[in-house]
Amino acid sequence: MPKWWTIMLFVMAFPFIYLCMNRVFHVTVMCITMNVAIMLVFIYAPTEKMQGIVQKIFYFHVSSAITMFFAFFLVCVASIMYLWKTSDWWDSIALSAAEIGVVFCTLVLITGPLWARPIWGTWWSWDPTLTLTLVLWLIYVAYLMLRIETYDPQRARFAAILGIIGFVDVPVIRWSVEKWRTLHPKPVLIQEGGTTGLTSAMLLTFLVCVGAFFLLFFYLLRERISVAQSRHALEVLRHEIDEICVG
Amino acid sequence: MKNVWYLFAAYSTIWTALCVYMIRLSQKNKELQAELRDLRTQLERVVTK
Repeated sequence: MPKWWTIMLFVMAFPFIYLCMNRVFHVTVMCITMNVAIMLVFIYAPTEKMQGIVQKIFYFHVSSAITMFFAFFLVCVASIMYLWKTSDWWDSIALSAAEIGVVFCTLVLITGPLWARPIWGTWWSWDPTLTLTLVLWLIYVAYLMLRIETYDPQRARFAAILGIIGFVDVPVIRWSVEKWRTLHPKPVLIQEGGTTGLTSAMLLTFLVCVGAFFLLFFYLLRERISVAQSRHALEVLRHEIDEICVG
Repeated sequence: MKNVWYLFAAYSTIWTALCVYMIRLSQKNKELQAELRDLRTQLERVVTK
């Protein structure tokens, strides 16, 4: 069974692969990987004996959660860089990653209860992991609400601070999954001792799903940064036209 | 095949949400690019006058 660092290397390779791809090639690779992931989930991966077919929600639920954590990590890093360098480029990255992170967090909060209902017998439980994930979603929705107006450096600075503070919730969620006795299951991917609790077929399927979600994340990030930069360019251009008209 | 409805609901939600978001992002990108082109031509006209 692979150790935890093999899995981390696999996941961390994606940003570097992404940097080597042009847009069309990236979309093609993303679509192929996503189709392979779906086929692996429904054809190749074995059905879990205890939970039955509903356990297959795991592959995309946990992939969404990992992508969400990565998105919020990127918000934190880009916000620190924005406060340090005061560069619009870092602000665009932070804003874009926050929006995509909220999308994936919403998916986690929807697919989680759909998995919980047949297994736990309830849609929702106010246990620490679930509640902290909801708090994380609320923090970054607040971040997006701060940025709903046109570009304002003061709002951007406030949002950057919120983006950094909000990220503190992520390791707390991870800690709550491992240490708190809750309804939420303990991590099966990386267990104590660095081994995994998944069979090799399940692990392969899961890694392909994570890879597909990372490719999707970087595609969405590229598109969202383009939107943020176009908006900024529009504001600059409007300002120039106003100045010319007034002059 | 017990609980297959939950599996169907989860995957449908994921793909619907992601498709809607991707389409919305792509449309917004196109709209902004068009607006940017229009404003640039307007600015060129104003400057040449």
